[in-house]
Amino acid sequence: MGVGPSTKETSLHHFRDPLLDVISEDTDLDLLGVIIVGTPQDNASKERVGQRTAQLLEAMRADGCIISCDGWGNSHVDYANTIEEIGIRNIPVVGITFNGTQAKFVVSNKYMDTIVDMNKSEKGIETEVVGENTVNKTDARKAAAFLKLKMRNNTR
Amino acid sequence: MDSIELRRLVVRSYHVNEVKICEKFSFNNKVLCIDNSCIAPLLEDELIKKIDIRIIKPHEHDIEINTIMDIIPISVKALGKLGSGITHTITGAYVMLTGCDEDGRQMHEFGSSEGILKEKLRLNMAGTPSSQDIIIHVDVLLKGGEVYDRHLPLAAFRACDEIISHIRGVLRTQDARSADEVHEFYDRVRMGAKKVAIVKQVAGQGAMYDNWLFPDQPSGYNGGVSIIDIGNMPIVLSPNEYRDGTLRSMD
Repeated sequence: MGVGPSTKETSLHHFRDPLLDVISEDTDLDLLGVIIVGTPQDNASKERVGQRTAQLLEAMRADGCIISCDGWGNSHVDYANTIEEIGIRNIPVVGITFNGTQAKFVVSNKYMDTIVDMNKSEKGIETEVVGENTVNKTDARKAAAFLKLKMRNNTR
Repeated sequence: MDSIELRRLVVRSYHVNEVKICEKFSFNNKVLCIDNSCIAPLLEDELIKKIDIRIIKPHEHDIEINTIMDIIPISVKALGKLGSGITHTITGAYVMLTGCDEDGRQMHEFGSSEGILKEKLRLNMAGTPSSQDIIIHVDVLLKGGEVYDRHLPLAAFRACDEIISHIRGVLRTQDARSADEVHEFYDRVRMGAKKVAIVKQVAGQGAMYDNWLFPDQPSGYNGGVSIIDIGNMPIVLSPNEYRDGTLRSMD
């Protein structure tokens, strides 16, 4: 299981990504950059790319981050691991991904307490309709609001 | 709050009212002409058996399609590299790539979207055309009997990018004054604001579970590298590099 048709971000989505629009226009936030990280096959590699992502954020002196994932199932193993690595470094982190009713997290940890569910389908499932369960501006604004709250409460 | 501007990206959009199949690629008075003869050289690739280009008008979505491999904006650098300078992009028409092989295997990884277009595409999302947009439908038939790995869908992505490159050729030379919209985006430092990053976890395991980075042209294929081939390791893009089509979806 990975990326289904309804959660898949097309090249057009990347070209006009609502998450980038919302975060880059928010004058309370200084957007350092966009980190792209993949989802390797074996567990050792999954852990490695998660650790590297978190270390990169620490090196950038990030006050917080939003991590989005357009897949689920197996992709959520990578996702949970990366979020944990970021959380351990005491960097506030908010997630956006697909859960609905079908894609409950296969693994989770205490840092996954603010996740925005990008499901849009009535039944909460992978509908195989392209574009249906993808991030919109409302999802992005929710994530930004969660992150601001988390950063404010972070006493680091 | 004070901000320091680092780099500027200008995106000029050119609206398309009509797309036609003609004898020559051209783009004048909001009419985009596509020359079907660009397909013939693409068939020299032994993996590609057939390519059809079909123009789908708004509200004419009651048609059967193979699985949707990607929706691709048509953009080209008029000046500079990805993330700065000037980009020309087309609005009102987007490319939809679909594909299967001669054995009827759909080009997808987990769940596929073949069927009736109007039931398989949610319009008006960030990653899909609006209900008023024209769809330039590129359907690729790939060689049957092949091992289903990356080389097969990549052949379709490559061929589709070749077709788009002809459109880029006539888009690049559009007059600045005839642009319908001009947008300016800045990579900037907002002094004193909370420093945040966006992390995008993307597919990177194999056929139709792949993403491409750093193509020569926005949302392109040529010159790019697969996230699989760079070990799925995290890569930092500036906001404008990301906005300018540095990440190309292949999943």
